[in-house]
Amino acid sequence: MGGLSLNYIMRRLLVFFLTLWVAATLIFIIPRLAPGDPITAMVARMSQQAGFVENADLIIEGWKERFGLNDPVYVQYLRYMGNLLRFDLGLAMARFPSPVSQLVSRALPWTIGLVGIATLIFFTVGNLFGALLAWTKTPKLVKVLIPMSMIFTSIPPLLAGLLLVYIFGFLLDIFPQAYAYHHSFRQPEFTLKFIGSVLHHGFLPAMAIVLVTFGYWALGMRGMMVTIEGEDYMILAQAKGLKPFYVLYRYMIRNAILPQMTALAVSIGTLVGGSVLVEVIFNYNGMGTLIFTAIREQDFNLIQGTSFILIVTSALAVLIIDLSYPLIDPRISLEGK
Amino acid sequence: MSEQRETGSERVVLDVDNLRIHYATPQGDVIAVSDISFELYEGETLGLVGESGCGKSTTAYGILQLVQPPGYIVHGSIEVDGTEVLNLTEEELRKFRWTGLSLIPQGAMNSLNPTMRVKAQIVDVIESHEGKANYESFRERLSVFLRKIRRPRRGEPLKKYLGEWLRNLTLLLRYEPLKERIFDLFQAVGLPNRIYNMYPHELSGGMKQRVCIAMGVALHPTVVIADEATSALDVVVQRIVAQTLVEVKDEIGVSLIVIGHDMGLLAQIVDRIAVMYAGKIVEIAPVENVYANPLHPYTQLLIDSIPSIKERKPLKITEGITHDPRNPPSGCIFRLRCPFAWEHCALEEPPQINVEAKHEVACHLFDEQFEERRSNAFAAIANS
Repeated sequence: MGGLSLNYIMRRLLVFFLTLWVAATLIFIIPRLAPGDPITAMVARMSQQAGFVENADLIIEGWKERFGLNDPVYVQYLRYMGNLLRFDLGLAMARFPSPVSQLVSRALPWTIGLVGIATLIFFTVGNLFGALLAWTKTPKLVKVLIPMSMIFTSIPPLLAGLLLVYIFGFLLDIFPQAYAYHHSFRQPEFTLKFIGSVLHHGFLPAMAIVLVTFGYWALGMRGMMVTIEGEDYMILAQAKGLKPFYVLYRYMIRNAILPQMTALAVSIGTLVGGSVLVEVIFNYNGMGTLIFTAIREQDFNLIQGTSFILIVTSALAVLIIDLSYPLIDPRISLEGK
Repeated sequence: MSEQRETGSERVVLDVDNLRIHYATPQGDVIAVSDISFELYEGETLGLVGESGCGKSTTAYGILQLVQPPGYIVHGSIEVDGTEVLNLTEEELRKFRWTGLSLIPQGAMNSLNPTMRVKAQIVDVIESHEGKANYESFRERLSVFLRKIRRPRRGEPLKKYLGEWLRNLTLLLRYEPLKERIFDLFQAVGLPNRIYNMYPHELSGGMKQRVCIAMGVALHPTVVIADEATSALDVVVQRIVAQTLVEVKDEIGVSLIVIGHDMGLLAQIVDRIAVMYAGKIVEIAPVENVYANPLHPYTQLLIDSIPSIKERKPLKITEGITHDPRNPPSGCIFRLRCPFAWEHCALEEPPQINVEAKHEVACHLFDEQFEERRSNAFAAIANS
């Protein structure tokens, strides 16, 4: 067999949309569970700052009407879902005229790029290092050096980021300390120079994520490799007189990587959450920074919108891994039972 | 199958001499294989039997240089066709494996790589030993493909034309030069061609075992070692697989060592049997001698323990190996359980005594000076 069946894809898609629906509903419900309402709270804040707001009751009523908060909950819910389907996430309250979707669409590619590339690096490096740690033919020196490179595993990404900024951005001054690209560019453009600048700026934030993460994957991989080494087919592979390197990648890594892929799918949510602080440290104009400012400015619409988009992105990544799983593990049932 | 087999050749293809294998433990070394010696003749099938833990599998892995840590070979010599296996360098050993000695593993269920198709697992062993030297390059195949392309003839059904086209395209893109050879192997072990593209989890246990047999003889090795190749199967499949094994062996002309504990099954397929007890070969003889006239007291007990369908009788052997394998008893290894043991057994280790042609036994009773004791003991047994 091999390959994907329609049934499998349909089931995965169903789970994907179910996740999104549950997430959207939770995002709708949670703010409404809190006492009071955002309009009153906002006007109260305004009157605190200004001392007095004229016609406060009228303003509250008017805004409630404007945002549809006077309608029954189910009407609000249906309208909210309808808007989501059209990717209308409402207007950002703190930066009033700009719609949330516009802010998100500006920030999202940066985060996907940063986290995506960092994931690619730490997954590859982590698994490779783990495999080398367990392989019997690895040179002694490598086996000593790899664990030393994993000392950052136990510190939070936040500290790793600060450390990197201090050493490479400040002391050595070889990498920029902030922003996603050089300030001489007004806006993103498709030139080699711009791409170079993006890579130069993205290096430290990506490293901050990679340094603290890859050790975890290396340890997991080593554990899997040791398990695989005890399998019957490893003895047969040895008896067959295959070339050692071929046995390493075709028999050992090929089988040990499967649970690692599952673990990756599970950890993507955490990963995106962890990248928020790294983005803030580097003032990287991605979703992390956007969420951070949204929370600081108590912009409910923006918080809801960014959270939802992050959930969509994570669910999408999980979906992609899920769909690729049958391609790498032939034993996964494709027909569905 | 049970007719007497003639061992055709007297040429020794495998000569194991004084092989000793230990497993290191914190409490001292466990002696798994204790100075055993035997020979395997060309075209012969030798059975290696004994109870669990007697060292028969360790012997096999020792010969194959596959003893896994903490096990290690203490001393000995293993010669295959004049090549001393223990002296090979790592790369020489890699090349020697599967062409000199191949293995049909114990747990065929888990001995195939789950993420590789059956064909790929046979292809990899052939390619890693024979290389890809004679393969056509993509350019050559492309020129063949271009030569084969033609316009449809007038009145030719479109389906037929497209089918031919598709076949040519498959030949170009999925070049499988070993396909015919693998089909021949499948045929030899009675596997259908359709499993060529399958994954191991899509096969039954018997099929996996046959794949292992096909793989084991793919390179026509000098010696094939089948390590309890049939013990995970039910009796019917066991029988068929064992028969396949012997047929393939005769067809391809390799020498075979079969390891097992099923005396009944082994009697059907082997020429000679070596009986092992606690890391030592206690008796080695042509198969009909062992069953008709077992000499060593342990062999006698073992033969007596083969369950009979006709009558129920208590087992003569009730316990396993009783001594501490780190600290074997002095003299004869079997004396603690032997019904005939006397003082002399503790004093010195019995030598291999050649009783008749090709029939050796390691027991003091068969020493000429103790002939009287032997006849008394055996008479007592016969009377009881």
